[in-house]
Amino acid sequence: MLVEKIKFLTRREFLEKIFLRGGLIAGLIAGILLLKNGISFLFPPIQKGEAQKLLIARTNEIEVGKAKEFQISEKSFFMVKTESGMKVYSAICPHLGCKIKWEQYRNRFYCPCHQGVFDVEGKVLSGPPPRPLDEFRVEIKNNLVYMWLDENQGIIA
Amino acid sequence: MIDKTKAWLKERILLDKKKSSEIVEKVLKEPIPKHMKNWFYAIGATPLLLFLFQIITGILLTFYYVPSPEGAYESVRHITQDVQMGFWIRGLHRWASNFMVIAMMLHIVRVFFTRGYRKPRELNWIIGILMLITTLGLCFTGYSLVFNQLSYWAATVGTNMIKEIPLVGETILRFLRGGTEVSGNTLTRFYNLHMGLLPTILFVLIVVHIVFVRIHGVSKLEEHEESYPFYPEHFYHTVVIVLFLLITLSALTVILPPGIGEPANPSVTPPHIKPEWYFFAVYSILKIFPLRIGIYLSIAVLIVATFWPFIDEYMQARWPKIKINYWVGSLVIILFLIFTVVEIIVT
Repeated sequence: MLVEKIKFLTRREFLEKIFLRGGLIAGLIAGILLLKNGISFLFPPIQKGEAQKLLIARTNEIEVGKAKEFQISEKSFFMVKTESGMKVYSAICPHLGCKIKWEQYRNRFYCPCHQGVFDVEGKVLSGPPPRPLDEFRVEIKNNLVYMWLDENQGIIA
Repeated sequence: MIDKTKAWLKERILLDKKKSSEIVEKVLKEPIPKHMKNWFYAIGATPLLLFLFQIITGILLTFYYVPSPEGAYESVRHITQDVQMGFWIRGLHRWASNFMVIAMMLHIVRVFFTRGYRKPRELNWIIGILMLITTLGLCFTGYSLVFNQLSYWAATVGTNMIKEIPLVGETILRFLRGGTEVSGNTLTRFYNLHMGLLPTILFVLIVVHIVFVRIHGVSKLEEHEESYPFYPEHFYHTVVIVLFLLITLSALTVILPPGIGEPANPSVTPPHIKPEWYFFAVYSILKIFPLRIGIYLSIAVLIVATFWPFIDEYMQARWPKIKINYWVGSLVIILFLIFTVVEIIVT
């Protein structure tokens, strides 16, 4: 008989199955959510600043072919006056993050960590740096030099 | 009174004298192949003993160390210059870390050239590689804690290198730095890694490694090699090596005490900045090759090293006459030495 072949679940078995499977799924979802939020615990929030225009110098402060280092909230920059105008570069080497130096007698930037060399335009002359120095947008108004920092304190070139 | 205490303890610990002496007997009388009489085969235990030594000296250092950018350098200076025997404890910790790396390298070389990773010991080789990586991680986080110029710039350069790892680099970088820049967060994280997470991982790996060695037994160089018991001869070889190490470490600390260098200065990268000697080869490669190629090369070497037992097995099956491990091993050692020496010579 057909009826005999079908195994009916008792109420107890049915409830056990529902709770077991439902519990497993709920546990899995809870686990994933916990893991997701748990992982974010390990990464502190990064506060984004606002894009800023900062006054950094007077145009007559440095001569053509010379560079000047300055700092904004612990970050270092170089301001260079070239034939083509005023430039502002990050003083951090784009290779592995060391601090570059300006060598006036050689008219170049030099990174002491892995001997990266950059010219006044920020271009790589030799060594392992993968790209030119990070450059910032510069504005000149009424003989005053301004630079732009974006909300990530990154580049607006 | 003593008898009473003994009886009290006996009831609670449930120590079965016969059973425990059987276990000790089994551990001590473990048969090992005759070739182990050669001293070079006693090197495997030294990283373990040095690790225990590092735990002791490390715990002592934490009594004074302050993991903050303002306090770290000063606390290391205080340990080195003011605290009674402080320079000695710090020096021992520092020299032992160097010795641990050397001992691990020698052990790996020994296993590699004798093909100790052959079936069924492949997994134990992989665990060994993981232990080497963990140890190098401990070294790296360790010298970053001093927070002098070398520490700061090594942490900057080291974490920036990690950024170049495909897919996960950026995430690992943010995890290690605790932000986008090397900061106070980085120091506390390195402190945690150095005295919490990494030693725990290393401890677990060591336990698994030794359990595997015991399960498999020491591999025989020849098929019908005679055996002899682990105790006393091999045991005393290890003891002699440890005593020699302790004397050498202490002597080195007295002759060449650890310096403290200049305090970290994020606005000046000092000229001639160099990492510790065991990173010289990688450092030198990074100067020669573009960053991405250097990183990919390092990852490739790591992957090949990890899965070497399987690669070797495949090669052996194809070219049974060529001793491929001799060639590869010699080449790696020669390249490592060349790059290291180049870095020593070049300022």
